[in-house]
This record gives sequence, C-alpha cells and structure tokens, in this order.
Amino acid sequence: MSEIFETPYFGVALSVIAFWIGVKLNRKLKTPVCNPLIIAIVLVSAVLLIFRIPYESYDQGGEIINMFLAPATACLAVAVYTKLQILKEYALPIFVGCAAGSAASMGSVYLLCRLFGLDESLTVSLIPKSVTTPIAVSIAEPAGGMVPVTVVAVIFTGILGGIFAPLLIRIFRVSDPVAAGLAIGASSHAVGTSKAIELGEVEGAMSGLAIGICGIITVLFSMIVL
Amino acid sequence: MKIIKQIGIVFSVCWLSVLVEKILPFAFPASVIGMILLFVCLVSGALKIEHIQEKADFLLENMAFFFIPAGVSIINYFDVLKSTWLQLIVICVISTVVTFAVTAWSVRLTVKLLAGRREKGGKPENE
Repeated sequence: MSEIFETPYFGVALSVIAFWIGVKLNRKLKTPVCNPLIIAIVLVSAVLLIFRIPYESYDQGGEIINMFLAPATACLAVAVYTKLQILKEYALPIFVGCAAGSAASMGSVYLLCRLFGLDESLTVSLIPKSVTTPIAVSIAEPAGGMVPVTVVAVIFTGILGGIFAPLLIRIFRVSDPVAAGLAIGASSHAVGTSKAIELGEVEGAMSGLAIGICGIITVLFSMIVL
Repeated sequence: MKIIKQIGIVFSVCWLSVLVEKILPFAFPASVIGMILLFVCLVSGALKIEHIQEKADFLLENMAFFFIPAGVSIINYFDVLKSTWLQLIVICVISTVVTFAVTAWSVRLTVKLLAGRREKGGKPENE
C-alpha cells in the first residue's frame, strides 16, 4: 500500500493541491494571517502525519520543487531591474536604509537569542529572518542552521510586517513614502511588500527594491559575522 | 519554444552561478550569485528583459509555492520547537519592529542630510 507514495508525483501533486487551497482561502478571507504558504505547509504536514506517510516519500517530490528555489532567487534581479530608475534616483537613502535595517535585524536577533539562551543552531537559523526566504535559507544552511526553522521564522516575520505595517507607520510617524516602503521591505520582505503595494506606488516600489538589496547586504554581513 | 528558451536562459544562469560559487575563494550562496549575474546581464544589455520576462514572472509570482517542501520539513523538528516556540515568536516580533524603526529613521536622516547639503551648496552664506 505504501508504495503508491514512493514516487515524486505524489509530493508534487500534494504540494500543488495544498497551495491551491491556500491561495483560494487567502483570496476569500483577505487577511495576511491566512498566508497561502502557511496554509499549504499545515495541510501537507497534516496529511503526512494523519496518514503516517514517511517524510522521505513526500520529499521525493519535494526535492524537485526545491530545484526551482535558485532560479526564483535569481529572478529577483528582474524585480530590481524593472525599478532601476527609482533606484538611481534614491540610491543613497536606499543603501543607507537597507544597510542599517539589515544590521538592526541581525543584531537584534542575535542579542535576543543570547538573552533567551538559545543555542547556536537556533540563533543561526533566526539571524537572516528579515530577508526573503531563498536568501535567508542560503545564509542559514551552510552556517549550521535549521532550514525549516528559518523558513517558518521568515514567513512569520513577513506576516507580522503585512499586518502591522500601517500601525508601525503611525507609531513611528513615518510620513515619507520612501522611508515607509524601505522600512516595510527591510523588515518583512515579500509578504510585507504586498501590503506596501496597497499603501501606494512609491511604497510598493521601494519595498520591492529593499527585498533584493537587503538580501545581498545581509549575505555580506553574515560572511563577516557567521 | 519561447518558454523553453526562457527556462534555458534562467537555468543556464543558475548553472553558471554554481560554477562561480565553486571558483570563489570564500563561501557565497550560488542563488545570490545568480541574482547578481542576471542583474549584470540585464544592465549591460547582454540579456533583454523580454528574453526572460514570462519565466521570471512565473517564478516570482509563485515564489511561495517553491518553499512548501522546506516548510514541511518542520515536522522533523517538533522536538526542538516544543520548548522554544514562545521565545522564537517574541524574537520575531521585537526584531521586526526594531528593523522597521531603524530603517525608517536612517532613511529619513539620509534624506534630510542630502537636502541640507544641497541647500548648503546653493546658498553657502547661510551656514
């Protein structure tokens, strides 16, 4: 019976169905809490646990999906390239903001991990959590982090940004849309950016730029400290 | 054929970036090398955006999907998370707020300094 799961088709099909349900639910409920990726992860995990399907069987398909991560990351370049004009116009504020934000993110995570007495592996898994998932994973993995912890922390951070961005803009009195967009992108990558796009065109463009630039800056910083 | 060609271009860039990663004397993630490589190709005109537009849109729009397997492997880590999930949530919340504030303030400061310098350059007698 269990051999019907011993094919890559099973993992790919299950993932696609779960993601499709996630996207549908997200469209219907229209809240960042119902993130399609989170819904899909919960659904797939539930199916595997309930039907006692070994993770290794699912991962035969999972590995094929994983193969697309590097090409997807590379294509972030296209997202930056289409905003080249606005990047040139605000070059200095963008680079200063992204560098300061990346340093603040990594520094605050490190200090808090020390404060809570978390071990090395968890700390490394969390340090890149404010950048987009593919880059965060490629920082955490070689440094000895736990990839799934990184993935979940990154998504959770993104959802936080998506929900609280308008509130944070008010609390910190950010009137400049350039500053608001960069702050959203630097703190909560792509999930936050979808909120930034709703706030305005400049906010959306800046937030999208911050994803790629903070990603590269965080890689550079992590080469120094990890 | 158009889509096949685009897939070929994007995958070639990724393959090249793995090659570069092997050659580099320090550890730098291949996926980010691919991103920089693709960006350089676009800016230099070696590649036109039309050459990869559809494939890039497909990957970017469905980015979240490709992370499902990575996320699902969390079921192998339940033991670790059982004792630390609360700390992890607190860390994520605090550092997200800190990152937001620091970025917003440093951008505001930079914009202000730039404006100040421009003004100073315009009317030097004021300062």
